[in-house]
Amino acid sequence: MNKSIQQQLNILDYGLHSLWQKKGRNFCVFLIFSGVIFLLASFQFMSASLTRTAELLLVTVPDITVQQLSAGRQVPLSAKSLGKLDTVFGISSIRPRIWGYYFDESNGANYTVIGSSAPATDDLLDSLLIAGSYPQAGEQGAVVLGSAVLDNLGLGDRKSFSLFRPDLTQVALHRVGVFQQSINLLTADLMLMSLEDARDLFAMGHDEFTDLLVQVANPTEIPTIASKIADAIPGSRVVTAEQIRKTYEAVFSFRSGFGAACLLASLAAFVILAFDKGLGFSREDQQEVGILKMLGWQTGDIMRLRFYESLATAACAFGLGISLAWAHILFFDGGLFRSVFLGWSVLRPTFDIVPYIQGRDILLLFAFSALPYLAATIIPAWRASIVRADSVV
Amino acid sequence: MLISCQDLQKQYVADKQPVLAADKINLDIAKNDFLTILGHSGSGKTTLLSLIGGLTTADSGKVLIHGKDVWSGSDSDISRVRNETIGFVFQFASLIPTLTIHENLLLPLSFGGLRAGSSERADTLLEEVGIAEKRNSFPSELSGGQQRRVAIARAFINDPEIVLADEPTGDLDETTENEIIEFFYRRHEQGTTFVIVTHNSQLAQGHKALRVLNMKNGRLQEQ
Repeated sequence: MNKSIQQQLNILDYGLHSLWQKKGRNFCVFLIFSGVIFLLASFQFMSASLTRTAELLLVTVPDITVQQLSAGRQVPLSAKSLGKLDTVFGISSIRPRIWGYYFDESNGANYTVIGSSAPATDDLLDSLLIAGSYPQAGEQGAVVLGSAVLDNLGLGDRKSFSLFRPDLTQVALHRVGVFQQSINLLTADLMLMSLEDARDLFAMGHDEFTDLLVQVANPTEIPTIASKIADAIPGSRVVTAEQIRKTYEAVFSFRSGFGAACLLASLAAFVILAFDKGLGFSREDQQEVGILKMLGWQTGDIMRLRFYESLATAACAFGLGISLAWAHILFFDGGLFRSVFLGWSVLRPTFDIVPYIQGRDILLLFAFSALPYLAATIIPAWRASIVRADSVV
Repeated sequence: MLISCQDLQKQYVADKQPVLAADKINLDIAKNDFLTILGHSGSGKTTLLSLIGGLTTADSGKVLIHGKDVWSGSDSDISRVRNETIGFVFQFASLIPTLTIHENLLLPLSFGGLRAGSSERADTLLEEVGIAEKRNSFPSELSGGQQRRVAIARAFINDPEIVLADEPTGDLDETTENEIIEFFYRRHEQGTTFVIVTHNSQLAQGHKALRVLNMKNGRLQEQ
C-alpha cells in the first residue's frame, strides 16, 4: 500500500481508537449533537412532507376561483352571476361549487363540505381516491369522504349515514369513495358530494352556490381573464391557482422559517459549546500532542487527527439524528412539531403525515449542522497541533 | 561530526527573572559517542537535550546533525529526523494513556507505516527491558518504573542513530537500573550514539567509550 495512504489510515485508526477510549466525554457530545440534528431534520422533513402534499393537491385546483363579497364577507353567488361570464372569452369551463363547514357535535369536529357538479372522468382525480369513485351526475346522496371523517363517523364497512340540516332534520347519504392518505393535509376532513346534496344539507336556495370554478384554455391568459371576471361581477373576489399556491408556500415557509430560526439558535449554542470545549483542551490532551510530535508526527498530522475525530463524531451524530427524525415523522406523525405547522385547532380531525425526503434536504441539513460543527473544531484543532513538542519535557 | 552545537543560547523567564539555561554552548558529538552530562537540577541539562533534539528552539546558535541545520527546516523534515534519526527518553514516561503498552511501542512506526516484523520487534524490545508480560496492559496499570522501561523500549523501536535520554533510570530500583544501563551499553556497542543527562554518576562509570561532561549555570565543563 502507498506509504501516504497507509499513514492516513494510521492517523484515522489512532483517532477512532482515541475517540473510543475517551468514550464518556465524546458520547455526551455525540448525544447532544444527535439531538440537535434530530430536531432540525424533523422540522425540515415535516415541512417538506406538508409542502409536497400541498403540491400534489394543488394540481387539481381550478385556474380561477370566483366568490361574491358583500360588506367584506362572503355571500352566495346566484345563477345570474354565472350568466355574466358568457361575455368573457378564453374560458374553457365554469363549474359552480358549494363550500361550507359542517360541525359534528358528537365528535367535536369540523368537516369541510364541498358540493360540486360531477367531474369529467380524469385519471389524475381518480388517483386521489383510495377506493370507489366520485358522485355521478344525478346520483343522490353520494359522498366521497376524507380518511379522518371516515374514522370520526365510525362507519367501518357501512356505507350509509346521515347528517343534520340546520333545522335538525336528517339528510341520508352514502359513501361512494375515500380520499388517498397522501393528500390528507387537505382532504382528511373533507366530504365531497353533489351540488344538490350540499345545497340540501346547508338549506341554500335552489340557484345559489358559494363559488365558481373557472378553467382557462390558455394558461398564460389566466391573470387577464381573472381581471375581466372581476370587472364582470362587481364585488367579486377572484383568486387564481398561482395565488393559492403562493399562500400555501407562504404559510409553510413562515412556519418552517420561524421554527428553523429557533432550532438554528440551539445549533449555534452547540457549535459554540464545541468550539469552547475544543479551545479548552486539557493538559492531558496537550501532553498527548507533545508526545506525538516528539515521535515524529507533523502539525498537519495532528490537525488531520482532530479533523477525523470531529468528522467521525459529526457523521455518526448526523446518521442517528436523521434516522430518529425519519422515525419521528413516519411512526409519530411529527408529533413534536405538528401543532407548529398545522395550528392548535382542537376541532381539526387527525390525519397521518406521509414522509417525503429529498437528497437536497439531507445535503442542506448536513451543510447547516455537521459543517458548522467541523468548522468550529478547526481552530481548536489548529491550536492543539501547534503545541510545542517540548511541552512534554 | 554527527552532532555539532554552535554557540547555543537559550534564556527562560522564571518568576519574572531571566534564567540563562544554555550559555553559548559549543559541543561536538561523534558517531557512536556515549556522552553523559552530569549536573544539578536547574543547571540546564534538559534544555540542552531539548535543543539538540529540536524540541525547543535556541535564541541564538544552531545544532547541526550530519552537518545540516535540520531544526530550521520544514515541519516535514523536522518530523522525519525526530522519527527516523532520534529516539527520545524523557524524565517522565510520556506514554499515551489510551493505548496499550504494545501499541505505544508501535506508535512511532505509524509515521512511516508499519513494516513486516514490527510487532515482533516491539515484543523483543519489551523482553529486553524486562516487561514483556505487560504487553497488553494500559500505562495506568503499570508502576512509574515500569512505564519508564516502556518509554525506553519505545525510543529504540525505529533503531535510531541517536538516543537522547533525560534521567532514564530515575524511577528504577537498583536491579532494573543495572539492567537498563547494560541494555544501553549493548546498544552502544551496536553503533547507537547516546547523549544522556543525569544525576546518576553510575551511568558515568565503568564504560570504555564513556565521555562525561558537567553542566553548571548553562555552561559545559569537561570532567
